[in-house]
Amino acid sequence: MSRSSRILALAGKELKVFFADFQQLFFSLALPVVMVLIMTAAFGGETRFHATAYVVNLDRGPLGSELVSRLDEQPGIDVELLDEATADERLGRSQLLSVIVIGPDFTEQLEAGRSPNLTIRRRGTGGDEGQITASYAIAVAHQLVSERLTVARARAVLSGMGADIPEGAVRQKVSALYAEERASPTVVAREEAVAARSSPAAVFLPGMVTMFTLFTISLTSITIVEERKKGTLERLVTTRATRGDLLVGFWLGGVGRGTLQVVLLLGLGWLMFRTLFTPGSFALALVFAVLAVIAVSAAGLAVASVARTPDQANWIGILLAMVMSTLGGSFWSLEASSGIVAALGRLTYNFYANDALRRIIVRGEGLGSPVVLQDLGALAVFAVITWAVALALFRVRRDDK
Amino acid sequence: MPDVFVEARDLTKTFNGFCAVDGVSFVIHRGEIFGLLGPNGAGKTTTIRMMATTLPITSGDVRIGGYSVSREPERVRRLIGVCPQELALYPELSALDNLVFFGRMSGLGAAEARSRAMKMLDLVGLSERARHRVAKFSGGMKRRVNLAIALMCTPELLFLDEPTVGVDPQSRNHIFETIQGLRDEGMTCLYTTHYMEEADRLCDRVAIMDGGRIVALDTPEALKSRLGDPTTVTLEDVFLHLTGRRLRDEG
Repeated sequence: MSRSSRILALAGKELKVFFADFQQLFFSLALPVVMVLIMTAAFGGETRFHATAYVVNLDRGPLGSELVSRLDEQPGIDVELLDEATADERLGRSQLLSVIVIGPDFTEQLEAGRSPNLTIRRRGTGGDEGQITASYAIAVAHQLVSERLTVARARAVLSGMGADIPEGAVRQKVSALYAEERASPTVVAREEAVAARSSPAAVFLPGMVTMFTLFTISLTSITIVEERKKGTLERLVTTRATRGDLLVGFWLGGVGRGTLQVVLLLGLGWLMFRTLFTPGSFALALVFAVLAVIAVSAAGLAVASVARTPDQANWIGILLAMVMSTLGGSFWSLEASSGIVAALGRLTYNFYANDALRRIIVRGEGLGSPVVLQDLGALAVFAVITWAVALALFRVRRDDK
Repeated sequence: MPDVFVEARDLTKTFNGFCAVDGVSFVIHRGEIFGLLGPNGAGKTTTIRMMATTLPITSGDVRIGGYSVSREPERVRRLIGVCPQELALYPELSALDNLVFFGRMSGLGAAEARSRAMKMLDLVGLSERARHRVAKFSGGMKRRVNLAIALMCTPELLFLDEPTVGVDPQSRNHIFETIQGLRDEGMTCLYTTHYMEEADRLCDRVAIMDGGRIVALDTPEALKSRLGDPTTVTLEDVFLHLTGRRLRDEG
């Protein structure tokens, strides 16, 4: 049996044990699922615009209700009707930032061909949602005005032609034509994502991915220390496996486990936040995440050589993961760091992984970007360094001298 | 003249100045079951670990099948199988998966490893539980899996480091019969145990170690004769006579 077959047999065994160990499986695979679900709950699993328009309808005629109903038909807009007192109270307590008030003579003014009374009451700027819903309300009101004008003009033209058509019939026909236009608009805006869209999920997902890759250090090192503790590692030494075979086999096992995690995290991220990725950016993000796993799995081998018990391996791994996550920008934007923290951050591998993933997911950059290429190079260098350290430190025996 | 298969010469191991094995010399003949007896801390396991290439030798050497353990460990590994004192196996995996894995690491191809694993599980009486997870096995069954793993590489020399610790009489008897069967087929065994009646029953010759040295080496009958009538004297009497009655707590 060749050396590569022995290495693959060891890596395969690592994955078999991983799938058979419920605790490890839960920590490694169920936790990322839980995190993405929490993120989905927090950010609604939606990167498209969605808002509620708060409306007070004081109109004595039917057109105020018509405006409310048409506003509710707009994609991404829900309408919540309030009475004036409640609206003012909630605005006063900052529970709402913007309210659309349809005046009492809205229908009357429209019918008379005058500008209808539509008021936007707001706190401060009214917030992004308030400004957008107000714009929608104004556009819908314009639509109503436009329909009334069309009816008036049609009647004038028809009278000029001597046609005796009742006003109700003209109004009905014009309304039907406008309804048809709304149902099948002559101008259709098609959305096409050429890169990722910015959303809170896009900001947090890269940090989460790199943080989970760092847990590979703990998982890989604990596995090896436990093997040493129960004697299987020493038993492996009496087989034909060389130290190099064991090193590569355990490393590949760690890479396999870590890759499963990042595929799961990124895949779920894509599934829950549809506009987060394009196929190209997903593939590139995956390449970076796997490269990160390759580097940290080798770090796990080095930790396993230093730690004497599984607990020690676990705590060293957690300490490294937390320090590197904090310095490397997994918890906050990299631009927020400054001074010595920023300088130290650049010494961590995940600084480059975070930077690359954020550029790919948030900004839609690809391999054409020199910074992304630079990050790729830095990750490769880190992988080589961690490998060199692992090679120098890796011990198969408890009492290797 | 019996064929010498193992020759240990002035074998020594020190840990931070402490001498765990102190110039031990002995030979094991091909097809012999050689017992290594001694109280806790006598140096039995350290001796086996050096011979099995898992612990560097401080001085001296061992030749196994003509190969030097310190200079040709890869060659030696092709000749040996190790059944360690610990249950060195993967409880999360099935008995079959454990055997196949170690078989593949010992140089067998996938199909060959599978076929040999089934044979070895049959030999230790576990073929019907081949696909069951080892975690669910009793202590005796786990010990038998531990032994079967050591046999996967068809070794010429089998190291058995207290293979019957904590097992029920039935499993112990099964292990004895397996070892005797292997010896009858020509396999050489180095056996350590704390159970003197086991050594008396199984071993062709025994070496009694104490304080890192061999204090006696002969057949069980000859050792018993040194104290009196071999039909009334037990090997335990000899052992206590040679090593004393002082408690040996490992520290």
